[in-house]
Amino acid sequence: MAFVTLNNLVKVYPEKSGPGIRAVNGIDLEIKEREFMVLVGPSGCGKSTTLRMIAGLEDISGGAITIAGEVVNHVQPKDRDIAMVFQNYALYPHMSVYENMAFGLKLRKYPKTEIDARVREAATMLGLTDYLDRKPKALSGGQRQRVAVGRAIVRKPKVFLFDEPLSNLDAKMRVSTRAEISKLHARLDATMIYVTHDQVEAMTMGDRICVMKDGNIMQVAEPLELYNHPASMFVAGFMGSPPMNFFKGRITRSPHGLVFVEDNSKAAPFQLLLGGPLAEKAAAYADRAVVCGVRPEDAQDTATVANPGTGHTIDAVVEISEPMGPETFLHLHTGAHAFTARVRASNPFAINQKVEITFLMDRVRLFDPDTEKAL
Amino acid sequence: MSPVRSIDGSRQRSDWPSHLIIWGFLLIELFPLYMMFQVSFKDNASFIANPWLPTSPATWNWGNWDFGLRLIGPYIANTVFVATTGTIGTIGFAICGAYFFARCKLPFSDALWAAFLLLMLLPGVTNIVPLFTQLKDLNLLNTLWALVIVGIASAQVFNIFVLRHFIEDLPKDLFEAAEMDGAGHLQRIWHIVIPLSAPIIGTLFILAFLAKWNEILLPLIVLRDKELFTLGVGLFYLDGEYTKQWGQVMAAYSISAIPLIIVFLFAMRFFVKGLSSGAVKG
Repeated sequence: MAFVTLNNLVKVYPEKSGPGIRAVNGIDLEIKEREFMVLVGPSGCGKSTTLRMIAGLEDISGGAITIAGEVVNHVQPKDRDIAMVFQNYALYPHMSVYENMAFGLKLRKYPKTEIDARVREAATMLGLTDYLDRKPKALSGGQRQRVAVGRAIVRKPKVFLFDEPLSNLDAKMRVSTRAEISKLHARLDATMIYVTHDQVEAMTMGDRICVMKDGNIMQVAEPLELYNHPASMFVAGFMGSPPMNFFKGRITRSPHGLVFVEDNSKAAPFQLLLGGPLAEKAAAYADRAVVCGVRPEDAQDTATVANPGTGHTIDAVVEISEPMGPETFLHLHTGAHAFTARVRASNPFAINQKVEITFLMDRVRLFDPDTEKAL
Repeated sequence: MSPVRSIDGSRQRSDWPSHLIIWGFLLIELFPLYMMFQVSFKDNASFIANPWLPTSPATWNWGNWDFGLRLIGPYIANTVFVATTGTIGTIGFAICGAYFFARCKLPFSDALWAAFLLLMLLPGVTNIVPLFTQLKDLNLLNTLWALVIVGIASAQVFNIFVLRHFIEDLPKDLFEAAEMDGAGHLQRIWHIVIPLSAPIIGTLFILAFLAKWNEILLPLIVLRDKELFTLGVGLFYLDGEYTKQWGQVMAAYSISAIPLIIVFLFAMRFFVKGLSSGAVKG
């Protein structure tokens, strides 16, 4: 059952002249009860605006938002039964941690004993019991962040909204807080909508991920589905770090079957023999231009691949080698295309060294160059 | 003079010439106060014989103070009423107005703001005649409420002007968080704006109180009955009636200044904090 539904949701910011800026462009999205939905995309893609419209902090220009079956377009934020965690925490600087967490309950005129019980329960859950009397400025970034989360959970709302809550934390803190929020979701069993521009957060935390670009939804799917079967070049390039490599080329016929031939005027273009489902998809594009997408981890040093097969290897030149410890990021080029391979760190690589790279063909994706959609 | 510590903690050499200049100005400023105070203990004979130097405390004429207190006691009571209600009203309304301009974006609010600022360019005195006829129509002439109401209205532009920018600088997220927490506009003002703008509100409070305490033109025009007189107008008439009794007049002046000095001493910390707030964002 959809718990939060966005129907043809539009947000237009008026301009002095012209039709206005369409920050959100008629999106449809269904978020299930108890789901952890992540809205992800580059800055300016409309994800925060969408979240703020769900919160009621932005007026809706068109469409409808329903929460638990009720259209809330004109319902005040306080009456939507939602809580929000802000990017910079938005803690009240003049109130103690306890008062910050109790504020919403106090305004809703809960009895004092109930407020106290809820605040202490949340504080225990978040490890804030020792800090209840402190003011926010006496807390570290991570602690402030937990207070902001605590302020949301004491209200026991129907829906939690998170607006890039980790982006002000340092890298280490971010990783641990990420896990804490995931645990919290499991424990509270609540519906959560989480906005981030960080695809790692999206991949690790979301039950489903909604990728947005320019006010449109590009794809909504579970994390691995999104990673393994991106619907478009944008999604493929956005999810994953380093991002997917793209090679422009054509599908041509050969005696062995359909072949992807790289566009390369500077060196001998590489050829990839297409088989299985990939060949079926490519059949309609025979003799036409396509884009071939390969994730860095699917491009391996042939020396380390047990059974490279024929027609799956290409020659490339090392531009830079970045040893990461367990693996090495090789920045390579074929003459026409620069790409990245994430290879095992068994042997060192020298700059300008020639290497033979094998693509794991069952993981290679093809895209239409005009629509940028996956074949 | 010994070296003084500057704000950032580094030692600086003190600066003789500038200190001399400051002391010079201070003496010029303080001289009338000194004269007022020391003359308030003299009768006319000793004042004429020795106008400049204070007499020994043993010969102080406390009768002047007794007289002054009885004379202007009712004026002080009236002034306390006008200044206190007026100041609370002024700041209360100004906070609401400033909050509106800072946080509520409605169509034409910019035009409203421009019209509002235009009022600041208008010298207050030009208003006097229309104000008088308006108060007459409202049957408010010769009442203290006229002073309170006009005082509140005329102080809005300046106070809103100052407060608006202060409130705009408060993080927007705080207001949104409060909105999500269920706070209405008035609750946001009470729980967010007032505590976080305390220094500037304190400063404006003192400035408004001072202005109302020292108000003279409006009470002079509005008030007719002597028992309604506020200090400004009361002391003004005092000057004419008791010119010859310098000691008594000066005692009355001294008494009228004391409540202000007390208010100021209590609020000094706030005042300085408010004036320098914004200089260093903290």
